Amino acid sequence: MDLLLAYEGLFAFVGINGLLALSVYATLSCGQLSLANAGFMAIGAYTGALITLHSPGVPFLLVLLAAAAMPAVVAVPLGLPVLRLRGVFLAIATVGFGEVVRLVFVNWDYTNGALGLVAIPQRTKLWTIWLALAVALYLLGRLRGSRAGYALEAIREDETAASTMGIKTTAHKLLMLVLGAALAGLAGGLEAHYTFMVAPGGYAFGRVVDMLVQAVVGGTAAFFGPVVGAAFLTVLPELLREAGARLGFSPGPFRLFLNGAILLAVILYLPNGLVSLPRRLRRRRLA
Amino acid sequence: MAPARRWSLVVLLFVASAACKDKGGQAPAESTGAAAPAAAVIGASLSLTGPAAVYGAAQRAGIQAAVEDLAGSGTKLQVLIEDDASTKQEGITVFQKLINRDKVSAIIGPSLSNTASAADPLAQQAQVPVLAISNTAATGITDIGNFIWRDSLTEAQVIPGAFKKAQEKLKFKTAGVLYGNDDVFTKAGYDVMQKALADLKVQVLGTQTFAKPDRDYQAQLTQLIAPKPDVLVVSALADNASSIVAQARQLGWKGAILGGNGFNSPAFIKNAGPAADGVMVGTSWNSLSQDAANQKFLASMKKAGISPDQFSAQAYTGVMILAEAIRQSGGKTGREDIEAGLGKVKDFETPLGKFSFTPSRDAQHEPSVQQVKDGKFQIVP
Amino acid sequence: MGQQILNGVFVGSIYALFAVGYTLVFGVLDILNLAHQAVFMLSAFAALLLVSDAHLSLWAALPLAVVFGGLVGIALERLAFRPLRGRADSNISGLISSLAMATVFEAIALQIFGPDTSRFPQDTFPDRMIRIAGASASLLQLCIVGISVVLMALLTFLLARTRLGRQIRAVAESPRAARVLGIDIDRTIAMAFFLSSALGGAAGVLFGLAFNSISPDVGRSVELKGLAVIILGGMGSVPGAVIAGFALGIVEVFTVAHLGSSFRDAVSFAVLFLVLVARPRGLLGPAAAREA
Repeated sequence: MDLLLAYEGLFAFVGINGLLALSVYATLSCGQLSLANAGFMAIGAYTGALITLHSPGVPFLLVLLAAAAMPAVVAVPLGLPVLRLRGVFLAIATVGFGEVVRLVFVNWDYTNGALGLVAIPQRTKLWTIWLALAVALYLLGRLRGSRAGYALEAIREDETAASTMGIKTTAHKLLMLVLGAALAGLAGGLEAHYTFMVAPGGYAFGRVVDMLVQAVVGGTAAFFGPVVGAAFLTVLPELLREAGARLGFSPGPFRLFLNGAILLAVILYLPNGLVSLPRRLRRRRLA
Repeated sequence: MAPARRWSLVVLLFVASAACKDKGGQAPAESTGAAAPAAAVIGASLSLTGPAAVYGAAQRAGIQAAVEDLAGSGTKLQVLIEDDASTKQEGITVFQKLINRDKVSAIIGPSLSNTASAADPLAQQAQVPVLAISNTAATGITDIGNFIWRDSLTEAQVIPGAFKKAQEKLKFKTAGVLYGNDDVFTKAGYDVMQKALADLKVQVLGTQTFAKPDRDYQAQLTQLIAPKPDVLVVSALADNASSIVAQARQLGWKGAILGGNGFNSPAFIKNAGPAADGVMVGTSWNSLSQDAANQKFLASMKKAGISPDQFSAQAYTGVMILAEAIRQSGGKTGREDIEAGLGKVKDFETPLGKFSFTPSRDAQHEPSVQQVKDGKFQIVP
Repeated sequence: MGQQILNGVFVGSIYALFAVGYTLVFGVLDILNLAHQAVFMLSAFAALLLVSDAHLSLWAALPLAVVFGGLVGIALERLAFRPLRGRADSNISGLISSLAMATVFEAIALQIFGPDTSRFPQDTFPDRMIRIAGASASLLQLCIVGISVVLMALLTFLLARTRLGRQIRAVAESPRAARVLGIDIDRTIAMAFFLSSALGGAAGVLFGLAFNSISPDVGRSVELKGLAVIILGGMGSVPGAVIAGFALGIVEVFTVAHLGSSFRDAVSFAVLFLVLVARPRGLLGPAAAREA
């Protein structure tokens, strides 16, 4: 399958972006917009990279577990004060957190500042990424139908009502923040060992915006929606690479424009994302 | 539960097929034919969008000018230019496309050192020569492997000589230092400047940083100017550099300013205006060189209506070096041929001067020191 | 020390002008308009085009660019916010929708102007330095501070004393009650957007003049600082944004002076964080920032 070889990177990034989109979805599923995941991803990536570079003998599985665990641990002291805030305030606080993490790595000599860590051996294979994604999907799928899942939905619908019904809202929200952090950290660790290097520039505000956009475009109604969105938005620019050039647009602005236009179209006309498209079409046909 | 089960099955099938393929190993690197007289196909991975878009645009101009200039000669090159969006993910995707789908014989770029650390290993694995035209990180580029080459002098090769000459002329003993700490160019530049100043026994009275998107440097400059150093040393890219110099003058700084590679652009002079006067710069491209190769480059850029700078000069040179490598291997355009040819490039006339590779495949040519006088760069003898 | 205070006031005036528009829309619609920074950028480019291509004098170009910003704001509201108004999750979807528009705007600017920074022609503004109590400031800087202050004062006056201002405040307080009182909600919101974007656009033009460096991504760094300012000042409070803008400018400058420039941006976020954790309503904001 020469196709796989030529497009291996693309498949890998679809998988990684899928994990990242799921990490944002984790908090969206209980109605919280947390934009800290670029910071969590950075923590996971650097943790994994540092372990591999300083103790190469550690098995990759342990490295990945550490990459997932470190941001999860950080998420707790972050979440406790911040999850009390509503809507936009939570979003802003988490954006602040993400930027602070990036700035720490830019200014930290131990991690080489802006130059980052290079020559990381490529321990991630394509199947590692997709296995991780499958596990994440499984977990989230199981969560959906469980009692915790119903609690999350209740919190998303109306947090006040949910808490009066006896649901421990803070605990649930914190759980999802921690889960999201772990997923983002895992994705960070996987990516670090796939792309040979980590540097703070890769974890800026724009990164978490991409994650959010992919989750929203894919759709948060279904637990696998974000992965659909990630696949769609990762593959689309490649497909359009040729088309845009032929139309005479500079490749960059064209891709940016398309991202914005698609996002706008989805949020205005298809608010539940691409996964709600089949249902919409079916309804159209029946009507 | 049905949809979840269905989806997990799909994903597992995919994982299984991916795992199987992986055991098979990589496809062998293909050669594009031994005696093909047609144009050699080269790939270029440039930052056409994203934070490094400015370099990418200049590099594209340089490459296109070079391809045109080569059109009449015996060695023709076709360059496929792709946008790596200044990110490592796109860099990897672009490299894979160029190597596996377009089957190029060599790759120019990528623009950023960070992208290079992520994407060059792929080329090394596939045995495709890569010629970096703007990676200035001191380590982590050519050390990736023997297929990675570089025509851009690192700051370590330019700054020490430039500072020594500057000190001979200006005789400074103390300095205030300002550098961009969020960009590999400027941070690597600062590391070298710091060492050069120490070697020259210059006392650094204060060090301040800024980030690339910053536009206001007055707080930092005020701090640096307060203890009245003999000279201000700045590691910045052209855009930031012009604002920094203008603001420094505005704050009343009348002393000398020493800059790194990033200052080496006519845009710097244009944008800093009269404030640029007197600024001394160590550069890897002597814009004033009267050598035929440089004059031809300048003429081609003028024809294209784009003002030349260090980035376009290095990109143009990159294409010329690849053409020379092909010539050195008797006109053969395969990947191994170009790789072998690159090893034979010696004292080749380029806009950067007489060019050779060091044993570690880094660039080697004479850097120069220039000073802005009356709105123009002039060589400091 | 005096020089640093002046630096702080100067950069603070631009932060304040930017934040004032930001916070106005939040007060009225409860939505964070992430396209505000794109309007900031587009107005700067508009002024640039007017001065360099249409050869207008700066004093003509400035108000025109400001009005242009306001009109973009109206288009933004119509295209990206109005369709979402009924929805339950309108603040998150509004945020995302504004993000989409910001991306589109940036793409358009990138296509037209390219990624390089563009600058005003050299002779756009007379180059004169003025000494005040041992510190130096350029005439341009003083004018910018002056214009910012005047614009913010005009806005405050408008909100407090005019009918439109009262309508805007009514809608901000409660759209339902405002409708019952016979206020044309659609028109009022559109006007609020016009004002907000006009001021954001003004901030952009002044910023472009001040640092003579305009690029399609120029809004991004200001956007994050702007967030810190409106949080500190209190979401929805115009006077809060003004005070916070100047405060942040001065705090940043002194952070550089005493802690080093690496901490400068971190300070904005630290402030943001502390405020959100300790006193989410900020200095002058309404007390509705927490979940019940």
